[in-house]
Amino acid sequence: MATFFGEVLSVYSRAVEEDDDDLDAENEDEQIHREIEEKREVHIAWCTEVAQSLEGSGSNKLQCSDLIIAVGPNAAGFLSAYVLNTESWDAVGHASLWNERSRGSSRQSIAPLPGEPACLFYRHRDNPAVLVCQSTCYIAEDQLFQWTEKVFGCLQKRGLSVMVLSDSPVAEYKTPDYLYGSAVPFLRSLKSSASKSQALCPALEQPNILTGLPAAVLSHCQVHQIPAVLYQCYTDVISPDSITMETYKPVLLCLSKLVKLEPCLSADVLRKFAIITEAQSNLYT
Amino acid sequence: MAARYDRAITVFSPDGHLFQVEYAQEAVKKGSTAVGIRGKDIVVLGVEKKSVAKLQEERTVRKICALDDHVCMAFAGLTADARIVINRARVECQSHRLTVEDPVTVEYITRHIATLKQRYTQSNGRRPFGISALIVGFDYDGTPRLYQTDPSGTYHAWKANAIGRSAKTVREFLEKNYTDESIATDNEAIKLAIKALLEVVQSGGKNIELAVIRRNQPLKLLESKEIETLVAEIEKEKEEEAEKKKQKKST
Repeated sequence: MATFFGEVLSVYSRAVEEDDDDLDAENEDEQIHREIEEKREVHIAWCTEVAQSLEGSGSNKLQCSDLIIAVGPNAAGFLSAYVLNTESWDAVGHASLWNERSRGSSRQSIAPLPGEPACLFYRHRDNPAVLVCQSTCYIAEDQLFQWTEKVFGCLQKRGLSVMVLSDSPVAEYKTPDYLYGSAVPFLRSLKSSASKSQALCPALEQPNILTGLPAAVLSHCQVHQIPAVLYQCYTDVISPDSITMETYKPVLLCLSKLVKLEPCLSADVLRKFAIITEAQSNLYT
Repeated sequence: MAARYDRAITVFSPDGHLFQVEYAQEAVKKGSTAVGIRGKDIVVLGVEKKSVAKLQEERTVRKICALDDHVCMAFAGLTADARIVINRARVECQSHRLTVEDPVTVEYITRHIATLKQRYTQSNGRRPFGISALIVGFDYDGTPRLYQTDPSGTYHAWKANAIGRSAKTVREFLEKNYTDESIATDNEAIKLAIKALLEVVQSGGKNIELAVIRRNQPLKLLESKEIETLVAEIEKEKEEEAEKKKQKKST
């Protein structure tokens, strides 16, 4: 503080200062934050082949022309039954993460067991630019950005086109009209502005919104101008169910242009992927 | 809007809805389809059989239950709620017989069930029954009756109706095909019920259960062989119809 006599006085401020004796507590806090961050980190583990081609390519990116992401048990079941049922798909990686609802294995190198909620990547043998991702585990809000950045960080942006299939409970669908039972399950679509393709179903009406992984992916594609289309299936059953999986069938038209699909599918195969809760659930007759 | 008014049963929403009752109607749609047809001398109840677990005793999973010798009902919705309603109805049928020395009329027992259901839409702390019922039978003057009740406690008489999953499709089929000719004989009425169910039942005759009451006779559950025979007849008739149409087109 300068006085009228030209001298400078040091004035004690009453503001709280960064005290030295709180450093330990701060360090502890920082350490805890760091540990939590580490625990909640999203790890993408690729198989050796893909890891090598990533290192080999100059930009550390995979060539990918089409990425198909399925979020939710019915979307994942649909892809398993209609697309991944041929022998021409290789499992090339998985994403492992931990959160309160998804206590996935923290040992990232070990691939998740079949049937466990997980996030798996598959690549087509004959057309290695086509990648499929099945995500059945819960990804927390704070991990969504990381997941999206890490996955898209491995993929070449140019020429990339994304399709997302996602399940949602119909109870969250807001509409002024009454929904008759026969209308459910149904599809609604949403596109990024770079997407020029025709959607196969009506667009999602306002005020409905997307949340979770599908929203994170679509936002990323919108920001980076990647053509992306999302198909959201609203259904009234909680568990994977064959009728809900069949609702995604119109998507096969687009997928058949990318990879060879099995021409016709027996209902038994679908039922294998649907949890047969009906026989055990005697709640409704 | 719905979110603030749909938790308590005794609260109306500003636009006059009782959301819990309306949601109970949705629970009914989770049950498999049941159809009821009123013929001239017969009443028919047909249901889609639920797939039963391998180790489960099939005969304990019944959608069609007798309330008295001359009245029976089929329900769709929550199984446990149905059991309670059926027990109360059965007791009431016997109580009526002992008190007034006459069997209940179908309308009386339907009204009793509907009143019970309505009570649960008004008192607080109890949720509505999540079932709709089709009640069929003959009054002692020989008139055949079919009534339908729903979770709100309303009941109406019908010539033919369906409840449960895909009820809308079945009802539309019945609206088109229920004519005086189609119920002219007992057999025709039974076949109409089967045809209506085949519209929505996936695997055909083996997933259909049928019950009939004829005037002055007790409830009879049809055996699966009889149902298969009728289904085969229906398929044959369909083929003949298709053949005739083809021939008409070609001439």
